[in-house]
Amino acid sequence: MPLARRVHDEFVALLGAADVIDDPVRARAYECDGLTGSRVVPELVLLPRTADDVAGCVRICARHRVPFVARGAGTGLSGGALPVADGVVIGLNRLNRVLEVDPENRRAVLEPGVTNLEITAAAAAHGLYYAPDPSSQQVCTIGGNVAENSGGAHCLKYGFTTNHVLSMEVVLPDGTQVTLGTDSAEQQGPDLRGVFLGSEGTLGIVTAVTVRLLRTPEVMRTLLADFPSVAAGGQVVSDIVAAGIVPAAVEMMDALAIEAAEGATGAGYSLDTPAALVVELDGTVEECEEQFALVKEICDRHGCTRLHIAGSPEERANIWRGRKAAFAAVGRISPDYIVQDGVVPRTRLAEVLERIEEMSSAAGLRVANVFHAGDGNLHPLVLFSDAEGQTERAEHLSAQIAELCVEMGGSLSGEHGIGTDKACSMPTMFGEDDLAVMDRVRAGFDPDHICNPGKLLPTPRLCGEKPGRYRPHPLEEAGLIERL
Amino acid sequence: MTRAAPTTLRPTSAKEVRDAVLDTPGRLAISGAGTARHWAGRPAEADATIDLSALSGVITHNPGDMTVSVHAGTPVRELQEQLAEHGQRLALDAARTDRGATVGGLLATADAGPSALVYGGMRDLVIGTTTVLADGTMVRSGGHVIKNVAGYDMAKLMHGSYGTFGPVVEVVLRLHPVPKAVACVAVDGPLDAAAAHVQRLMASPLEPIAAEWVSGEPGTLLVRLEGGTDTLPARTGRLLELLGDGAREIGPEGWARHAALTGGPSSRPEQARAAVAAAGPAGTSATALAGAGIADPTAVPGPDPAAPAGAAGDPGAVVRIGCAPVRLAPLLAGLPSTAVTAGPATGVATVTVPGSAVAEVHRAVAAAGGTSVLRDRPDTLDAPAWGPAPSALALLKAVKTQLDPEARFAAGRFEPWM
Repeated sequence: MPLARRVHDEFVALLGAADVIDDPVRARAYECDGLTGSRVVPELVLLPRTADDVAGCVRICARHRVPFVARGAGTGLSGGALPVADGVVIGLNRLNRVLEVDPENRRAVLEPGVTNLEITAAAAAHGLYYAPDPSSQQVCTIGGNVAENSGGAHCLKYGFTTNHVLSMEVVLPDGTQVTLGTDSAEQQGPDLRGVFLGSEGTLGIVTAVTVRLLRTPEVMRTLLADFPSVAAGGQVVSDIVAAGIVPAAVEMMDALAIEAAEGATGAGYSLDTPAALVVELDGTVEECEEQFALVKEICDRHGCTRLHIAGSPEERANIWRGRKAAFAAVGRISPDYIVQDGVVPRTRLAEVLERIEEMSSAAGLRVANVFHAGDGNLHPLVLFSDAEGQTERAEHLSAQIAELCVEMGGSLSGEHGIGTDKACSMPTMFGEDDLAVMDRVRAGFDPDHICNPGKLLPTPRLCGEKPGRYRPHPLEEAGLIERL
Repeated sequence: MTRAAPTTLRPTSAKEVRDAVLDTPGRLAISGAGTARHWAGRPAEADATIDLSALSGVITHNPGDMTVSVHAGTPVRELQEQLAEHGQRLALDAARTDRGATVGGLLATADAGPSALVYGGMRDLVIGTTTVLADGTMVRSGGHVIKNVAGYDMAKLMHGSYGTFGPVVEVVLRLHPVPKAVACVAVDGPLDAAAAHVQRLMASPLEPIAAEWVSGEPGTLLVRLEGGTDTLPARTGRLLELLGDGAREIGPEGWARHAALTGGPSSRPEQARAAVAAAGPAGTSATALAGAGIADPTAVPGPDPAAPAGAAGDPGAVVRIGCAPVRLAPLLAGLPSTAVTAGPATGVATVTVPGSAVAEVHRAVAAAGGTSVLRDRPDTLDAPAWGPAPSALALLKAVKTQLDPEARFAAGRFEPWM
């Protein structure tokens, strides 16, 4: 049922006609996020310019029980920003100012539409940076990072968005504006900020974020090492950890992923190796050099066939370019693919990869593996051809892999979120009671269920429907974003 | 389950906790080691107390994954001893762990020590929780993997909850390696000078694990570094150079006075020594004090409710304060403190003030945009526990109503807010 004209007029009276998109053709630009298989054209798209206008929009929604979906850059991979039928999308890209960089307190205050990379750009002059680095960081926004509790390659050592957000200005689903969090680590009672972080837009809309900034490390050392097997690479990771070293990042790619990435970037990866490991250390000169020597020794001990050490910032960037291009590059070796985001305890990496290989053979579909080896976050890429009718088999294999991760004591998602994509798998990871209590918490924030409904928690309506297959996001095709 | 007293239940399993919640009508208080019994709002009289101290021990430790799941009543001190055998630790140095504080208690009170500068507090170390709600529902969130965004992060809701949503019965923690070497450097001076040192330190690449000022005549800045056995001396040298005249290396026991001022009534010396050995610098023992090598090591105004500090006739009270780091020193300068520990880089301080000044402290902290909560104080002191209510109070009440509609748990802890 279309929105009443009266509601539409209230939005126009608040924002002006130019900031209310009701033309279905223009609204189509908002029909999906990075989970491009699911699409819903929103009834209206609202583009507020201030926090007060965001609150005004939400108050109108609340008054008329109109569901709303907040949207940043739309790079999310789980459908968190998928519009809701008969609802509105509130786009936050116009709230894109860096409000303050405060080097003395080592923090920055940002509007939600500021991109992740802009934070570090604004802080760099003070020798500071913002640690979480999702690979879409060129375009993804801090508001979206808050919603998804984004990670990145370096979260092994530095943690996730939740560990770096001090406080937020938030518009709750009834339109009230509150502050969650404080100016320090001291809290005022239960940590509602921590609940909001990673809530995938279901608990309200963030209109300003205060983040911690870290001092840029004195040195960074990066190496690329080839191994005769993924298992040998995995053993290296275990030994590094057992040696008491916390690397800034440890990434692994298998032969198929390397083939795709090297073909796309020519970054210098070996085409004939079954596995490659990227290890990065950072810190003070003394510690970094000592630990780097130890890492090299561990690599040798496990039959490393080639060891390449980045000798310059350009070489380091090159190694990372190859690694970060892996997702999109898979498009070169397969017409279609689905990306997964499961997590297993690190010690079960070899086992889970073996099982994935078995499942892959049984399904008759190839799976390329790219993963954050340090924290057990896998990104298996299920390769298939829709034209050859393999879609259903690929989706089944993909879901099987996610659920295998849960079975091994892990999680459905390490960083991409649940959204609509994995909501129906939530019962494999959580019991009925767990999910019911999460729903009660949600009702505390959003009693009318108008804030991004149908996401994160399974609903009969959602789970009766079948999501579409993965297709590359337009931004990804344009080379503007990459996936990690 | 044994009944320690007519109104105290002492469950030994998560299931027994649930049974206790279901079988006991009325208001329930939750206790662990009792080290924060006097913190925050004074608990209203309860119909029964659920004592979780028998719900103790490691459930699963996965050394290779650096995670451990424990029963909530496990004393952190004991956990650290077990983890140390594997070269691992919970990277939390809250002072009251020396007195037997439990994992659940530290989570519920959002307590943290000096190393929160780098490792954060319990909120940053807990990766999963199981909680029993008022209706007997056992709710689990998170899991055994560090990286996990599936579902709401309910563990955060428990952090700082003082049990208001129900007893946490199991906690999964991420672990860190025990550093190969630890160095501590001290330099005497007033807080202003310490804050200036810390500003330069944080702009340097030296990566301090903790930087805290302890009051005295004139007071002492303590800085902790962690690193490799062969490499740390060089970095310590750089730190001494950066801090300049008067900076000197001291033993880890130099932190003893800091712990004594922030952790509440002091403990038995042998316990403190065990904790220092297992977890690094957080001892409170008298022997450690003697070797502290910091200014005025004997003058420790104890925040023990039985032996209050402060002006004669006015019982002293301990208030925990947080604000933007650069606002901390000017804020503290205006408070009638008799003892202070302050983190110029974290903005967190613990102050001992006359009981009659607590309300004034709350006002001054709020005016600086900060937050404050009353910790240890004499039983007789009638002072507000919290500063002004947060803007999200209505939201907090709504979540409370969802999870504990009959307000059975932790009544009084958030007085005067709710």
